[in-house]
Amino acid sequence: MERIKELLNKFDTEYVEEYKSWVKAKLKNKEDLVKVVEELKNAGVKSCSTVSPTDFIDENRIEVNYFLEGLNPTKSSKEEKKVNVWLKVDVERDLDKCEIDSITPIMPSANYHELEAYSTFGVKFKGHPNLRYFLISRDYYGKFPFRKDFDWKEHEKHLIENVNAITEEFFEEYEEHEKTVGHEGSRTVLHWGPTHPASGPIRLKVFVNGENIEKVEPDIGYVWRALENLAERKDFIGTIVAVERICFMDNPNPMICYSQAVEEIAGKEITPFAKYMRVILGETGRIASHLISLGGFFGTMGLQTFLMWCLDVREYFLDVLEDYSGARIATACVEPGGVRYPLNDYKAWFGEIEKAIEKWEKTKPDIDDIFLKNPLMTVRAKDTGVFSLEDVEEYYLAGPIARASGAKIDVRIDEPYAGYADLEMDYVTCENGDARDRLYIIYKEINQAIDLIKQAMKKIEEGVEAGEMDPKKDHLVKMPKKLPAGEAVSRIEWARGEILMHLVTQDKATTPYRLKIKAPSVNHTMMLENLLPGHTLSDIPLLYGSMHICQGDLDR
Amino acid sequence: MSIGEMLFYILVFPGLTFLLLWTFFVFYFSRKVLAYIHKRVGPHYNGPAGSLQTVYDVFKLLTKESITPKSADPYLFNIIPIITPLVAALPVILIPWTPLINEGRAILDTEYGVLGLVVLIGVEPFLLFLTGFGSNNKYSFLGGMRILAQMLSMEAPFFLAALSPALLFGTMNLYEIMMSNTWLTTLILLPGAIIFIITMLGILEQPPFHIPDAEQEIVYGFYTEYAGTNYTLLKFAEFTEILVVSAAAVTLFFGGYRGLFFDSFWCLFLKIAILAVIMVAIRASNPRLRLDQMLKFCWSWLTPLAVLNLVWVIFAKLYILGA
Repeated sequence: MERIKELLNKFDTEYVEEYKSWVKAKLKNKEDLVKVVEELKNAGVKSCSTVSPTDFIDENRIEVNYFLEGLNPTKSSKEEKKVNVWLKVDVERDLDKCEIDSITPIMPSANYHELEAYSTFGVKFKGHPNLRYFLISRDYYGKFPFRKDFDWKEHEKHLIENVNAITEEFFEEYEEHEKTVGHEGSRTVLHWGPTHPASGPIRLKVFVNGENIEKVEPDIGYVWRALENLAERKDFIGTIVAVERICFMDNPNPMICYSQAVEEIAGKEITPFAKYMRVILGETGRIASHLISLGGFFGTMGLQTFLMWCLDVREYFLDVLEDYSGARIATACVEPGGVRYPLNDYKAWFGEIEKAIEKWEKTKPDIDDIFLKNPLMTVRAKDTGVFSLEDVEEYYLAGPIARASGAKIDVRIDEPYAGYADLEMDYVTCENGDARDRLYIIYKEINQAIDLIKQAMKKIEEGVEAGEMDPKKDHLVKMPKKLPAGEAVSRIEWARGEILMHLVTQDKATTPYRLKIKAPSVNHTMMLENLLPGHTLSDIPLLYGSMHICQGDLDR
Repeated sequence: MSIGEMLFYILVFPGLTFLLLWTFFVFYFSRKVLAYIHKRVGPHYNGPAGSLQTVYDVFKLLTKESITPKSADPYLFNIIPIITPLVAALPVILIPWTPLINEGRAILDTEYGVLGLVVLIGVEPFLLFLTGFGSNNKYSFLGGMRILAQMLSMEAPFFLAALSPALLFGTMNLYEIMMSNTWLTTLILLPGAIIFIITMLGILEQPPFHIPDAEQEIVYGFYTEYAGTNYTLLKFAEFTEILVVSAAAVTLFFGGYRGLFFDSFWCLFLKIAILAVIMVAIRASNPRLRLDQMLKFCWSWLTPLAVLNLVWVIFAKLYILGA
């Protein structure tokens, strides 16, 4: 950390300070940025987590935040910390002057994040290999919807024109493809999605020669709900319903991430009971998500049986969530200050959890024998789509995808939050990093999650017996109505990887001023461009499914 | 053969009514078995245990609009769904169905039974390729190309496997093959039967060889543009083909309608149902292969094994049966 600080001090900075596991620095000159990033890369901070502009309209500036992480995927022990850098640079708000040098040539992982920042805030990135509008649809081109002066109501009034603009764009693109590809030969452009049976709301433009893929261009934004902007219009508690809708599969974890950020700005510490409750809820959500991923993996190869079996088990884990919060999918069960509801009869709820775990344990042998050892699956998935550790660092693959390649990355261990610091856990990894390992890692993580739930339940039971915890009262600490000015970064290990939230508030705030949500699927989709060429058409669903991409968190 | 008989054959058994009933049955049956393996209920509400669900489905499809896409070739696109079920139903006359008709022989009792069967089954995929070609849709066309590739490679081992009983019994007449079948010959023909069933999966586009209509890859293959009546006809052809090929397998290798205690159509039906259960079980537990893997498997394993099987059959004929 000292080394990084020294390195940053060489440049013209307003301040360099420590913040949790981050070194936070603000550069005075935006021209310095590329040099700083280059030096940081040489010093081991190799991945860009996200790029988050904040629009300060009163001060006539846009502050661009770069979250750079040194992943250090080969660390030998849990104690070996990684160093992260949080760089801030100011750019003018004026559209003509609102530009900054791109860091994509140095850190490829910044690619889509810069495109997103350009599309939503209008920050031009000079030197970006392919700067274009991204995520937003044609009707938003040149309007930059996340700027504070964007008039949503006015935009909504021109609904018909907006829809026409979108269709026009599609036809233009179609004609362009017809021109470039032509009718002769075996080359063509396939639109894999957004209404394709296996794609989900994403479109991959697949340039194929016969069955062989030559180039892939993801086109995203089909479920873009502008959640980051939506959060700015809700109060601090109301925001949780926007946050939890990142992706319905793993529901409680994003709320934990957001709540942590709010608690940090408010300066509040939650009770130990709430901490363990967050572990239990978070891990239950993780299992619910992983079970779909597990079954969906086989679904991509035309086998639905496993998905059905997994959904059968998943129902029991959803019962757990329902028992606690009253809802199965969108639970809204975590809020700033703790967890939302008291546990009036904690033993009954624990019984429900035991039942779900028992169901999983009973299904496990069958899953093992029939599916995980399936020879045809092995033929298809083994040694297909291999990621090396270098890929993990360069493109910042996160969560299970990174761990399948053997990378020791896990926010729960690297920067423990909630109750994870007191629980025993280790990195779960596989070695080869092929598609099959990305299936196995999910299976291993479910078992790990169940172990964590058991540990957390034990801690709560012990706490209640010792009289230290009261499940009926301890669930929530009182949060102030208005928050002071400040900003916080909060990270959690989501089912699909790391979620990073950057929350900015202004003085006496009742709503977030800016909430940036970084979700792992963005980087994983970015990876498809490099992964798919060279494979055949049949491998698209398999490899795509093996990345466990969820369009909800891809578009937000 | 009188006109009355002929009409009976065409319209009732083993013609249209029988094939329709079979389609309703096998659709329902495979759905129910698959649902059981999936831990679901399956069709439930219409009829006893949901047995009328397929009938309802078919009539729903028939009332739907048949859409011809603007870019498709309208003649090819609409004619093929009519020809396909006809061609699929043709081999029915070559198979001896029941002891009650024609003294237990097939309606067309010919010395070229096996040959006719293989040829008529082999024509079908080319028609399906034409549906993909006529749709003028990228995914349909890819599906059409895939079915050609799959057919060309599966046909060789399929034919070689079908040839093994003909070689063993020295005749291509299906009735005589069936009648010559004993426990011993069934055992001798078992390797051939296994190869036949595997290639059958490929020819019927059943998992793990459901490559031409791989939903996750190329939407619905050659079916993509079809809706309403045309789709129903194509599906009808598919199920008819399943019936014909399974009946061929049973007749060639497992003694057709001959049962342990009595000869009846229901013995044949039971054997076909067992084959169908095996097919559904494979479908419920195995993912799809890739096209190139299927080709490799076919040419470097199945075809050589089928040739070896012929060698084994000749060996058995000379030294075990002592002909």
